[in-house]
Amino acid sequence: MRSAEISDILWAWTPFLAGGFAWNIVISLVAMSIGTLFGALLARLRLSGQKPLAHASLLITELTRNIPTFVFLFYLAFLIPAEFEVAGQLYALPAWLKASLALSVAVSGFVSDNLLVALQHQRNGNHVAALLFIPSWTTYLVIIVMASSTASVIGVGEIVSRSNVVIAAVGGDETMLWVYTYAICYFLAFCLPLNWAMGYARKRLLARIGMLAP
Amino acid sequence: MIGDRMRLAVGGLLALAAILCSRDALADRFDLIQKRGVLIAGVKSDYPPFGMLDANGRLVGFEPDLAAELARRLGVRLQLLAVSSTNRLQKLQDGAVDVVVATLGDTPQRRQIATLVEPSYYASGATVVTPPNKHLSSWADLRGKKVCATQGAYFNRPMAQRFLLDLQVFNGTRDTRLALRDGRCVAWLYDDTGIVGILADAELRNYETPLPSMMTSPWAIALAASERGSRLERAVSDAVADWHRRGSLIAIEQRWGVRPSQFLVDMGELWTRQQPDGSLLCGRLANGNWPPECRNKSLLSSDEVHGMQRFGLLLKEHAGLDVTIIHDAYDRGLFLNGLWISLQLMASCIVGSLAVGCLGALAAEAGFPLLNAFVRLTAALGRMTPPLLLIYLIFFGVGHIIVSRFGWTFDGVAIAVACLSTYTGCAIVSALLDASAVLKDQQPGFSLRWRTLAQALRLAYAPVVASLINVVKATGMASVIAVPELISAATAIIAEQGNSAVMMNVLMVTYFVLVLIVVQFFNLLERKILQRAQR
Repeated sequence: MRSAEISDILWAWTPFLAGGFAWNIVISLVAMSIGTLFGALLARLRLSGQKPLAHASLLITELTRNIPTFVFLFYLAFLIPAEFEVAGQLYALPAWLKASLALSVAVSGFVSDNLLVALQHQRNGNHVAALLFIPSWTTYLVIIVMASSTASVIGVGEIVSRSNVVIAAVGGDETMLWVYTYAICYFLAFCLPLNWAMGYARKRLLARIGMLAP
Repeated sequence: MIGDRMRLAVGGLLALAAILCSRDALADRFDLIQKRGVLIAGVKSDYPPFGMLDANGRLVGFEPDLAAELARRLGVRLQLLAVSSTNRLQKLQDGAVDVVVATLGDTPQRRQIATLVEPSYYASGATVVTPPNKHLSSWADLRGKKVCATQGAYFNRPMAQRFLLDLQVFNGTRDTRLALRDGRCVAWLYDDTGIVGILADAELRNYETPLPSMMTSPWAIALAASERGSRLERAVSDAVADWHRRGSLIAIEQRWGVRPSQFLVDMGELWTRQQPDGSLLCGRLANGNWPPECRNKSLLSSDEVHGMQRFGLLLKEHAGLDVTIIHDAYDRGLFLNGLWISLQLMASCIVGSLAVGCLGALAAEAGFPLLNAFVRLTAALGRMTPPLLLIYLIFFGVGHIIVSRFGWTFDGVAIAVACLSTYTGCAIVSALLDASAVLKDQQPGFSLRWRTLAQALRLAYAPVVASLINVVKATGMASVIAVPELISAATAIIAEQGNSAVMMNVLMVTYFVLVLIVVQFFNLLERKILQRAQR
């Protein structure tokens, strides 16, 4: 297969694949939102000073750390019905939302641990150190965006599933290699700059609180 | 006198009972058939090619052939009678037919009202018809895809649940066919015994049936309920067993152009399997029954079996928990094998990630600026590539090219371990290089070498262990390239048994415990290291 032919194919399918990557971002942002809300609640409870509540939320945090996201994805896909009825009203739970829910478990564990540290800094008046939470959170978003590719295994039409659709539609021996490489480029283009920016932000913050030796 | 009258009444009743009993004895079907010299068999007339009318209006097909074979064995002539799905069991009950061979699925409900002969002679199941070149290799390829189905099929709902299909249900066969032709779905979920009829359609001639049948329901020859344990049942049962052993059913199937059934192949293997002493595994037991291994597993009950199997079936009957990995030896083997492969994956990924991480960090610090830049860039790229995509890229993309150019194939386990180890190893490289930078600040003249590696690892202990625990959790990804680990095993069992709630919980708990063990192992290691550092 000539390279011109390959680039033609990739170009023709770009809107379709880019639309798939938009789904990866949506799934990740929803997962981060749900996970952050729940994780923040856990962190607050751990700092609440009430022994039973603090213990319970620590236990839940430990639990979220040990649950494998990939397995949990299957768990939700198989065990939560696609549609359910509440008070006579029929609600649909699309597969992408199940993926977000599965990913949000890991997020809540992460937020619970990291926000706890940030809140402790805040209480001690160490505001700049508390700000370190922001680059950490964003770096975690990058990890979740990469993990969102696993949503393909339960049939969500994100970039990996769509790559498989393109491969089936186009055929040919080398197509697979190029389509998957092209899909990886989307992740690199999104994740690398964000990761470097957050690395830089973290360094600046650390320099401001003087934790970084000159 | 009242006493006399009572005696008379009782005597009368006894006499009546005696007459009824003798009538019953006379009506022993086996004798009756021999006496009249004719076996009356009920078959279908509307289910080609299993039972249909030929141009002369005679009943012909797969099942009439079986009936003829039965009559030959009994040494009598055959008379066929058309029956329908609604009246076939009724005709048996009122004695209009001796046997029914009419696409009758074996279910516990039907066993209440008729004698269903074991072994089964055929099985129907669900499969898909797809347009040419859809490249489906397993049912998992259909997850989340639009699949057309015809309303009323017993398997629509369970198949959608087991394989997460996006079912588009249409009213009749014609509507479904049009929807498939117009590309409104990638496949048509249909009864595999009806496929021949569909593919006979000129428009769908090139269409394919790439997937094995699922949710197979065995078909049984039926006798009247009163025939349970009779000579007739034994004769029919022996005949079917003999057909499986000789491959007669496969020959008849070929004669009628039916798609080769995996069920017949499996049964042929089972019924000819020999035990170490040379006797057949599926021979009659002392009590005249077939051994449990040769019975229809879905229809066994706890009082027919022993040991683990009995415990599992009791759990199913009393608690409603269908833990098939306890009572089904095949599922148990599948699951234990999955567990073993998952353990191997986990151990290999931990070792592989550490190797990639340490070697990468050592190479970066070896003192060659170009190598350093290369390792750092590769580590950054490796950390930002989703491992799932990497597995697809290597297994399908690169693997396909290597197979077509050189003819080498790679093991799925090896590729999964390599990809996951690379991804995790890249994170470990970064952690070790960060630790090395800190050590250089603290100790002038520090450089990362084989001797000082332990020092850097101790400093980077927390991030390295976090990465290793993540890779242990991610080993399930190997399931996407058909490595038969725990997730593959669990979804395969669900596909056969439909016990998704039980299996998913078993899977979750198993994984949770495995991760917990790994976490505890690293905690223990940390304590050991600290103790040694203090000494």
